[in-house]
Amino acid sequence: MKMQININPRLRLSPLVMVLLALMGIAFVVAMIRYINGIGAISNLSYSYPWGFWISFDLFTGVAIGSGAFVMAAAVYIFELKEFRPLLKPSVLTGFLGYTMVVIALLVDLGHPERIWYMMIHWNHTSVLLEIGICVMSYLTVLAIEFSPVFFEGIQWKKTAHFIHKFIMPFVILGVVLSTLHQSSLGSLLLIQPAKLYPLWWTPILPVLFFISAVSIGLAMIIFESTVSARYFHRGLESHLLEKLGRAVPIVLAIYLIVRFTQLTLANDLQYLFNSGLMSILFWAEIILGSVIPLVLFSIKKIRQSPNGLLVSAIVLLIGMILDRFDVSWFAVRHPDPLTFIPSLMQFNAHYIPSLPELSISIGIFSAGILAFGLIAKYLPLFEEEDGHHTASH
Amino acid sequence: MTDIKNIKHKAFLYDATRCIDCRACMIACSVENKIPMDKTRIWVAGVGLKGEYPNLDRASMVYHCMHCEEPDCMSACPVGAYSKREDGPVLYNKDVCIGCRYCMNACPFGVPHFDYNKGLIDGAFIDKCTMCTQRIDVGLEPACVATCPTEALVFGERADLIKEAHARIAAHPDRYIDHVYGETENGGTSYLILSHVPFSELGLPPLTSKPVKEVSEAVMGLTIPFALTWGAVLTGVTVGVHEYNKRKENAAKQTVEAEKESEDAK
Ligand code: SF4
Ligand code: SF4
Ligand code: SF4
Repeated sequence: MKMQININPRLRLSPLVMVLLALMGIAFVVAMIRYINGIGAISNLSYSYPWGFWISFDLFTGVAIGSGAFVMAAAVYIFELKEFRPLLKPSVLTGFLGYTMVVIALLVDLGHPERIWYMMIHWNHTSVLLEIGICVMSYLTVLAIEFSPVFFEGIQWKKTAHFIHKFIMPFVILGVVLSTLHQSSLGSLLLIQPAKLYPLWWTPILPVLFFISAVSIGLAMIIFESTVSARYFHRGLESHLLEKLGRAVPIVLAIYLIVRFTQLTLANDLQYLFNSGLMSILFWAEIILGSVIPLVLFSIKKIRQSPNGLLVSAIVLLIGMILDRFDVSWFAVRHPDPLTFIPSLMQFNAHYIPSLPELSISIGIFSAGILAFGLIAKYLPLFEEEDGHHTASH
Repeated sequence: MTDIKNIKHKAFLYDATRCIDCRACMIACSVENKIPMDKTRIWVAGVGLKGEYPNLDRASMVYHCMHCEEPDCMSACPVGAYSKREDGPVLYNKDVCIGCRYCMNACPFGVPHFDYNKGLIDGAFIDKCTMCTQRIDVGLEPACVATCPTEALVFGERADLIKEAHARIAAHPDRYIDHVYGETENGGTSYLILSHVPFSELGLPPLTSKPVKEVSEAVMGLTIPFALTWGAVLTGVTVGVHEYNKRKENAAKQTVEAEKESEDAK
């Protein structure tokens, strides 16, 4: 049987590819300027805002949207829901690329990128960031292992692929444990800021909330990326599988809402719901977009059965949940900075708006991710038909 | 005065009522520690005029690393670049710092400052007050304290300074707010503050006696037990589901076979 994937060879320097390459080039140049002249030369980060767009977008959002990989791995391998197999490989790939992008972004954001490996030898066991660093590095390895059979199949090393497949279970479990840890720990990262993070967001159960929302983001991401890539590569869409995934979303979101509002009630934070100006608006925006609307949309069978309905619902959920990540890591954080009083002397920004070069770094890295996904989809057997065979489309 | 070298728990006391906003401490610090002109480890801020002529009032505040007893910067740093010396100072080691700036997020006082204007070759590091260890270790007061013309900043044994602070409040209850900031805040600090205006007006965050790192450290402590339990649970579920599915398959097969047999028997 011919095991080769055969999709439209659309990637040959199409305009899209040219644009992506250009964006990557810009990011590269900007990164070089940063390495020569310092982070201040390209970004608006300051003493008050040591973390900004890179952390909110590349780290917080990047890790969150990579969660499809562990959700799918758990479904297929641990719960043996074998029908979902066709969705597994693309989501593992998204995860792998997503995490690689996180690491690349950190190489720009860290003051000493050449020392990133110090995290493996100098351990401060009270640091949440250390836990995340170690988890992300290990998980990247696990994802590489989980994805490697696809690669070996692609280069026709069937035996190797088979061999790895045999021993995949321990890695899957390790991967799910690592994911649970760092998805939730991203929330724990803010626990050290009880005095800075607005009470609508700061709670000791931030890690729990982060984990539950990560699961919903994972499900939405799989729906999103399957639908989009199906369109781009003109391949069949696993609509009924996505419909089934969609059924799980309202359950996860309901749990999320219950936990979140119970916490707010118990912590006596309901008072902030309506009278905190911008903070109240942000809060309701993320709750309504991230949870309420998707909960309703995904509960309606008709919507779940239409590819467009699924796509729109997933996008609304992603926007809301990504807003949550931005709130927690940026919008809702108030850095007290005494330096406000003598702004002229200090290099200082009381407010923070990311600069264009700063954005260009994230955009460039994101473009590289899309391009890599396209290339891999083109050359490796990424998509399977539902009976386990690879597509030989058209 | 006892020899500074022998003070067991070194600390500062800053009295806002004595500060004349001359900023000599800033200059002294920068000279002593060779801090470039556009940076500083200590900063003085006038916090605005109040009242109407002729009853004008103005406060100033000298911000400084608080040398917390439970340093949050130290708890947060992934690579352990911070250490707390037994006699007080919280110190930063630039040789292991990876420049993640998590310490800046963690410190409730916004003390650690990162050098945004240095590239890879020069090396961008965190800078913060060191309590002038090079001076206190040879028996000298920190440069900022030694320079202060009005004794708004004094240096000494933490317990003594707390006593002294309360004595000043008791002597002039009309002049001071009855609280020593740093005695309990954030689990206690080695920079104590006396003021005649509310501390919030000085730009100091309202903190409880629980260090801000407390919850974060408690959650971190759960990590390993949680990971092990979760791993075990997942392994259990995996095996369980597998067995269940196998049995179901076998049962299905058996019924098929049984049906066949019964058909054969017919
Ligand atoms: S004031 Fe900030 S930098 Fe200084 S010891 Fe406390 S937490 Fe660390
Ligand atoms: S910037 Fe340096 S000192 Fe601060 S937390 Fe990161 S590694 Fe530690
Ligand atoms: S103790 Fe030394 S390093 Fe710290 S502010 Fe005073 S002079 Fe500067």
